[in-house]
Amino acid sequence: MRDGSIPPGWSYNPSRCSERLILVLLALAGFGIALYLSLYQLAVFSTVWEPFFGAGSQNVLHSQLMRALPIPDSALGALGYLIEAVLGWAGGNERWRVQPWLVIFYGLTVASLAFVSIVLVIFQSAFLNAWCTLCLASAAISINLVGPVMDEVLASLQHLKREFTRGDFLWRAFWGLKPNVAANH
Amino acid sequence: MLPRIINLILGLWLMAAPAVLGYGGAARGNDRIAGPLAVSCAIIAAWEITRALRILNAVVAIWLLIAPWLLAFSGIEILNSTLVGFLLLGCALVRGYVRHSFGGGWRSLWEPGLRGSSTNDQ
Repeated sequence: MRDGSIPPGWSYNPSRCSERLILVLLALAGFGIALYLSLYQLAVFSTVWEPFFGAGSQNVLHSQLMRALPIPDSALGALGYLIEAVLGWAGGNERWRVQPWLVIFYGLTVASLAFVSIVLVIFQSAFLNAWCTLCLASAAISINLVGPVMDEVLASLQHLKREFTRGDFLWRAFWGLKPNVAANH
Repeated sequence: MLPRIINLILGLWLMAAPAVLGYGGAARGNDRIAGPLAVSCAIIAAWEITRALRILNAVVAIWLLIAPWLLAFSGIEILNSTLVGFLLLGCALVRGYVRHSFGGGWRSLWEPGLRGSSTNDQ
């Protein structure tokens, strides 16, 4: 690994592709689960796989909150996972420095999906008194993604602060528009 | 890692406890909100970069210690909430081993001046 790919003061490169590949696969697994649940909510499938909690999945997936929006909540979840997979995949080994905007949008997506997941789990456990295995699995994936994604976000924010302190425009650094960064490649 | 695993199990236990021990009402609602929160914080704090979130579990734990008296729990509900509260608090206060360095961490973002050119900062 080239020295420039590791952020100053770090012991590893948070944007390294080996770590990101696992996160992309996790996001794709979440996408698969959410897609399956949304097809059930759209009545494409008449039953839903539920090994542990009996009618729990049906109660959760047909509850009012889950159907409050014009499209099923799991369809939004599927879209979120797909965006996560794309944003996790895009860019190279040094994207924490070259494409801070990409990393920061990625972090915001992951954080908001995890937040919504926690709210939905609390909703089903405390207010519906029902459990849905696949919903819990999907929530576990989105909560699990937060930790491994935030290191890249911190590296990008530190990079922006360094560029800003050196007198660069924050806006240009955010979009990776610094000419000498491109020249270093 | 062990404190986070214990807190994860404690959170899962809170979610299951109303059914296992057979209680309802305010205690059930309370534990089924605190449980998912404890699990989520434990998972996120398992990662070194977001270890600071363990403090949120200390907040959840303190709530579990005072909730029985505010929400009028009885018998086994008080015992369970207090016991889980103490264990959760104890584990949340353990920072644990941090192997990597992160160029000064999140703190570096609001500390004045340039940082990160040296490699010996935590």
